[in-house]
Amino acid sequence: MTELLRLEKIRKSFPGVLANDNVDLVIERGEIHALLGENGAGKSTLMNCVYGVYRPDSGKIIWKGKEVTIHQARDAIVLGIGMVHQHFKLVPPLSVAENVVLGLPSKREPFLNLEEVEKEILETANRFGIVVDPKAKIWQLPVGVQQRVEILKALYRNAELLILDEPTAVLTPGEVEELFVTLKSLTKEGLSIIFITHKLEEVMDVCDRVTVLRDGCVVHTINKTETNTRDLARMMVGREVFLKIDKPVMEPGDVVLEVENLSALDNRGLPALNNVSLNIHRNEILGVAGVDGNGQTELADVIAGMRKVTGGKVTVGGKEATNLSPLDIIKMGVAYIPPDRQHTGLLLNFSLTENLIGKNYFRPPYSKGGVLQKKAIDDFSEKAISEYDVRTPGPDLQAKLLSGGNQQKVVLAREFSGQPDLVIASQPTRGLDIGATEYVRTRMVEARNRGAAILLISTELEEIMSLSDRIAVMYEGEIMGIVSAKDADIHEIGEMMAGVRRVGDRTANIDEMEVEKPS
Amino acid sequence: MRNESKFHTVWRDYLERSFTIIIPILAILAAFAVSGLIILAWGANPLEAYAALFSGAFGSPSAIATTLQRMTPLIFTGLAVAYGYRGGFFNIGAEGQLYMGAIASVWVGINFSTLPAIVLIPLCVIASGFMGMMWVLLPAYLKSRRGINEVLTTLLMNYIAIQYFEWLVRVDQYQEGVILFGGKTPVWSFVNYLGIKDPLQPFPKTPIMVEATFLPSIKSILESNLFVSLFGGAEWFQGLLNTPAFSRITLAPFLGILAVIIMVFVMFKTVIGYRSRAVGISQEAARFMGINVKNTLFTTALISGVLAGLAGGMEVLGTQHRMIPNFLVNAGFDGIPVALIGQLHPVGAFLSATFFGALRAGANKMQIITSVPIAVVYIIQSLAIVFAIAGTTIDIGSTLKKKRIARESDVKKKIKAAEGEVNNAS
Repeated sequence: MTELLRLEKIRKSFPGVLANDNVDLVIERGEIHALLGENGAGKSTLMNCVYGVYRPDSGKIIWKGKEVTIHQARDAIVLGIGMVHQHFKLVPPLSVAENVVLGLPSKREPFLNLEEVEKEILETANRFGIVVDPKAKIWQLPVGVQQRVEILKALYRNAELLILDEPTAVLTPGEVEELFVTLKSLTKEGLSIIFITHKLEEVMDVCDRVTVLRDGCVVHTINKTETNTRDLARMMVGREVFLKIDKPVMEPGDVVLEVENLSALDNRGLPALNNVSLNIHRNEILGVAGVDGNGQTELADVIAGMRKVTGGKVTVGGKEATNLSPLDIIKMGVAYIPPDRQHTGLLLNFSLTENLIGKNYFRPPYSKGGVLQKKAIDDFSEKAISEYDVRTPGPDLQAKLLSGGNQQKVVLAREFSGQPDLVIASQPTRGLDIGATEYVRTRMVEARNRGAAILLISTELEEIMSLSDRIAVMYEGEIMGIVSAKDADIHEIGEMMAGVRRVGDRTANIDEMEVEKPS
Repeated sequence: MRNESKFHTVWRDYLERSFTIIIPILAILAAFAVSGLIILAWGANPLEAYAALFSGAFGSPSAIATTLQRMTPLIFTGLAVAYGYRGGFFNIGAEGQLYMGAIASVWVGINFSTLPAIVLIPLCVIASGFMGMMWVLLPAYLKSRRGINEVLTTLLMNYIAIQYFEWLVRVDQYQEGVILFGGKTPVWSFVNYLGIKDPLQPFPKTPIMVEATFLPSIKSILESNLFVSLFGGAEWFQGLLNTPAFSRITLAPFLGILAVIIMVFVMFKTVIGYRSRAVGISQEAARFMGINVKNTLFTTALISGVLAGLAGGMEVLGTQHRMIPNFLVNAGFDGIPVALIGQLHPVGAFLSATFFGALRAGANKMQIITSVPIAVVYIIQSLAIVFAIAGTTIDIGSTLKKKRIARESDVKKKIKAAEGEVNNAS
């Protein structure tokens, strides 16, 4: 193999933060090179330096043996570097072909030559085994296909190096498989791929070499065959990780949440939930597995009162909760950890205190006669910050200045503060590093042990498997089946996620079937 | 691990906070500097001009009286815009609400002219606030229930209010009982209220309202029995009474200060203010926190409207005592820069209203003494707005905070590294 890209002593700092320090990296032709590290380790910053989004403070970028300076993304594209960002840079109302040529000169200026482009796209796609319809509009396409369009965009610009920033974060397991097949076929054609990730399994699955970053520095570069996930994890965090959460066996108590034949619509007005029935007991975690976008978010929203029910019934603690306002449902003792802490979980411009009090400010002793009680609120906030180990210089700091893990701790502290009977946790560890993930999971198990019922929605099967007492699988707004976690078979769950209904479970009335009392 | 003294932390926190004050001050200074060049080009000495401007604004009791008079409506409209903006309701319609508030207080003043001052003045004030609120009702409803952009609706409502006002002051005579739909309309309805133009005047203005509607001046308060009996004999007291400026300073600016205090309390110490600010930051996140976004937006808009309406009432009751066209040029629109330069904080709005008021008050003297045209004042004002808004993008405060976090995590890192070495060694 020959060398394609070499980074020498790259250093990049932001005001007050040293994001990359003395980073050396060599990418060979035709390899898939994983860039592994926790959140904030500097992976994305490094790649943004290569792609021209940022300029390194010092250090050299050597492309095909020649030193280059990359001022902007256009320079990188001209050199043959393509990047697929975590959040796609596609224009939803435009077609695939239009997106692919966006920013490129047309051969028939000032007119478009879309038909020609469509042909070329199909040729490129066929060469690399990518299936895509160039005439389709982006908004109609599932996320996995949108990602393919992004890759195609880079290929159409004759990229020789493809940078993928956490490409699997938004994909279903099936789509991940497809992506990996695509990536391997790309490397056969001589392309090099940099694969940014913090998931160890993916590294072992698809990559040839791994570079581990920690705190902006390169810890190690190693061939995949010479290492294992355990070593990689140790390199990533600098310590051993035990993601196995201790979970005592508990007998489920009374039913807390009962959902009967629930139906609801999604944002576009299409059916998102179809006759969903389930219930959760005290001291129990019900995991809802499923590929993202199969109605899990809507289920959580409906129970929390954020979305109207079109049919069916929700009962919390024996009381009817169908179509109540979010506030009424909060008052019934329901906590909701929303899937997106940046947009729905936190008020980023509010201080930590103001965020922490978010579900209690209207109750005495935190407010009396509509007037907030500063003393009580400050005490509450201080206690929450120390109890949940939020790393902050002070309680007046704006929430946006915290790291993702600390932000999620604030959400947890707020939601668990009222000793809720029911916790709806939607993607509670999405985007968190291993340490924070472990923390969040421990807290949820603690809440369960205390007697709360927990509805855990996650697209990460590993999380569902390790935390849940029972597992429900959703597919296209319906529950395919509910199994006890003890005898859950990952293949069976995988099949249900793909839409195969559990045999003998057609009614989805699970209350009787699941009670296999632990001895 | 924290080896910093508490004093140090507090001081630095104070420094960081102070940047929100420093930015507008720098903006204002920069505006003066740039305008100085313009004055130079005009052929005058900018320092002389600014000295005249300053003495015209603060140089004597009567200058201060003028400044207070000019800043009062700006305090209220500034508060109105700041509160609305913080709550996610960008009220461009303060101008219209102000006009409607003025109309309402004049209407009450004319219709209930026989009431004693102690009843009539509060009634007029309440009427102006109420009418301001009514004028924002439709935009508030459309925004909160139908999601229609409030910038458009409030802006358009302005023109209705202003034209209605212009019509009112131009139509002769007060007509009691207009024939409408074949019957006499009742006396209290607005329809009667066509002719409030003073028939004795060739110009479109209303007659002066009865004296019972005048907001008491400082002088009249000092002349009250209580103060006379307390200090009646003292020489300084007589001196105060003889200062003519005190008859021009009314209660209005003090009501403005009271409004600032009330708004600080409402914004930061009450459940209403908390909800309103939460909605202003992110409607989605507020909804997830269980806040009823629609009702909160609606309430925010109404409070904003009340404040803007009060601005009109204060001007009528405190200064003009009648309505004439252009009686308050742009005070409503100027509420927007007042609020923005004031960093959307009630106290900030008060300070920037003082700045704006002082500019207007001092402009005349500047023109008389140095022949620099009044328009320069508007150049200063506009530049200050531009610089202040540009300055908000700098956001030094949070940069410093970020630096502090970084520093602290650096310390942590070093400690971690040290611990690691110890571990490796063992």
